[in-house]
Amino acid sequence: MTVRDRHNVTVEGSGPVTMVFAHGFGCDQNMWRLMAPNYADRYRTIRYDLVGSGRSELSAYDRTRHASLQGHADDLLEILGEFAEGPVVFVGHSVGAMIGVLAGISAPGAIGAHVMLGPSPCYINDDDYVGGFSRDDIESLLTTLEGNYLGWSSTMAPVIMGAPEKPEFAAELNNSFCRTDPDIAAHFARVTFLSDNRADVSKLREPALVLQCSEDLIAPLDVGHYLQRTLPNATLQIIENVGHCPHLTAPCASMAAIDAFLESVESARFGG
Amino acid sequence: MPSSSRLNPHVSVAEETGVPDGAALYDRAPCGLLLTDADGTIRMVNATACRWLGFEAHELVGRRRFQDLLTMGGRIFHQTHWAPLLQLQGSVAEVKLELKRARGEVVPMLMNAAVATHEGKVFHELALFVAEDRHAYERELMTARKRAEQLLAEQARAHAALEEAKAAAADRALFAEQMIGIVSHDLRNPLSTIRMGTEVLEMTAAAGMQQDVLANISRAGLRAVRLINDLLDFTHARIGHGLSVDIQRMDLHAVVAAQVAELRQAYPTRMLVHQANGAGGCAVDADRMAQLVGNLVSNAMVYGETDSEVTVTTTANPEGCAVSVHNHGPEIPESLRQTLFQPMVQGTKAHSDRSIGLGLYIVAEIARAHGGSVDVSSSEHEGTTFTVRVPAPLSL
Repeated sequence: MTVRDRHNVTVEGSGPVTMVFAHGFGCDQNMWRLMAPNYADRYRTIRYDLVGSGRSELSAYDRTRHASLQGHADDLLEILGEFAEGPVVFVGHSVGAMIGVLAGISAPGAIGAHVMLGPSPCYINDDDYVGGFSRDDIESLLTTLEGNYLGWSSTMAPVIMGAPEKPEFAAELNNSFCRTDPDIAAHFARVTFLSDNRADVSKLREPALVLQCSEDLIAPLDVGHYLQRTLPNATLQIIENVGHCPHLTAPCASMAAIDAFLESVESARFGG
Repeated sequence: MPSSSRLNPHVSVAEETGVPDGAALYDRAPCGLLLTDADGTIRMVNATACRWLGFEAHELVGRRRFQDLLTMGGRIFHQTHWAPLLQLQGSVAEVKLELKRARGEVVPMLMNAAVATHEGKVFHELALFVAEDRHAYERELMTARKRAEQLLAEQARAHAALEEAKAAAADRALFAEQMIGIVSHDLRNPLSTIRMGTEVLEMTAAAGMQQDVLANISRAGLRAVRLINDLLDFTHARIGHGLSVDIQRMDLHAVVAAQVAELRQAYPTRMLVHQANGAGGCAVDADRMAQLVGNLVSNAMVYGETDSEVTVTTTANPEGCAVSVHNHGPEIPESLRQTLFQPMVQGTKAHSDRSIGLGLYIVAEIARAHGGSVDVSSSEHEGTTFTVRVPAPLSL
């Protein structure tokens, strides 16, 4: 199985720097459709599905390798090895951001800069640390996932009720977004929401932008502040947005913050 | 007639037909209907939804977001999966959620949602259906599925344990067979010392009573040698590649006649007859044939009537040869005939001269090593006949 097939890798655009987009739990690379195309004129862009999500090769999901986020980080390094050209800017959403952190620590230099959308190094509250959730909350999520068993499986595409104001999606009414095997979704939910990467984020030397939404259930403001304090080289940018997906609901504000960050990284690199 | 102002301008009402108006349909529809802002803030809610959720409309409109009504699991699911999905494809269908009623209890519902734009502003239209029965049924299905998976895992574990036990038993059996082989082999040396000593004494000692004792020792020694040979053959047949045979062209009648003569010495009080049919030339292992006749005759002596003869018949012709041994006596039960040629199987008659039940097994193995077979016929009237048939080899 090729890396391209395993992750349904999409390479577009060209430029001296490669931008890699990684989605989070519950979705797939379609999440980047409002953002990634805007970078294709200046960057080589790579979008991919985490193994077990979207149109990745589900048989490659290995409950041992992918029992921790490190397995996904190793996957990412294989993708970079095969498709990246020049310096790499890694853009990760939610758990995807932590996968980037782990990859960056495993292979120093593989990623030159990190953009993190709604990241969280630990979802569960722990003493003074506010992750936003209790263990019971995560169990409640697993119950909800179980209740939507049919909804996850790709053979049961629900009827799309139509979105006449979004003709660009007209050809995709077969609903191919964010589907996966329900058992993998439950496993990945555990791996994601029970992960604790607080010790790892302090080791990341490369510059990082933390894009924090003003109101985000999954990654509350406290988490954004924690990351700014803990990451050695981080910029925190708070975007006015309710929800966990600023790249979908506030793409312009998100891209403006990313552009400013990339500019500062570039000038630090070249202009000093 | 000017149309009256309705809450929902899209539902036209034909008043002359007596059909109720759209506002009533919206409010009392058999499903919960909500309209929210893009961030989830509830803007409209129908009476059905209020009734199901236990809220007054004014407690919801402008005061709560739809996601506030969800369980924590449902809220995470909303944020990570179906809210972005709604954003991407404009609608979602058949999402199952648990909603918290005003008084805290939880009710499972199915939801369809669509994005709608009104005067440039984005709204979400939601339809909710109580799904308690479906929820209960799905729970049952999930429980059954988990139970099935559990049973499957248990079965796999049991199967693995069985395989393990089987392998251990096979190991033990192999070890036991090897032990038999080693012990029998080591018994041969002291036994041959005893037999040689006995022969020397037979030649030198004179007194009559001593001669009787020596003859008894000699016979007992011979029996022990036969037993050990049987055990060694058995272990070779079981853990090796069957019995070894050295097939030569010879006169079957002569080979068997010599063995019969020897057996007459061993059974001085019994009648043992040899009948030879045909020319006698055939290809067999002479020692094995003698052993085979010895085992069959010994068997016939034990189970046959003591006052009638035992007959050994040899037949040889171009197609092959046969040796059969017949005795008068009781019929071998049909049930026993099936297992007669397996090791450690004995007839019903207890006898001090019996070996441990390897005789017929070795007969069958010798027949097999010659490419032949053995069978038995037995009846009260005809007596019992064991017949070994060996086909002529294709070339020799």
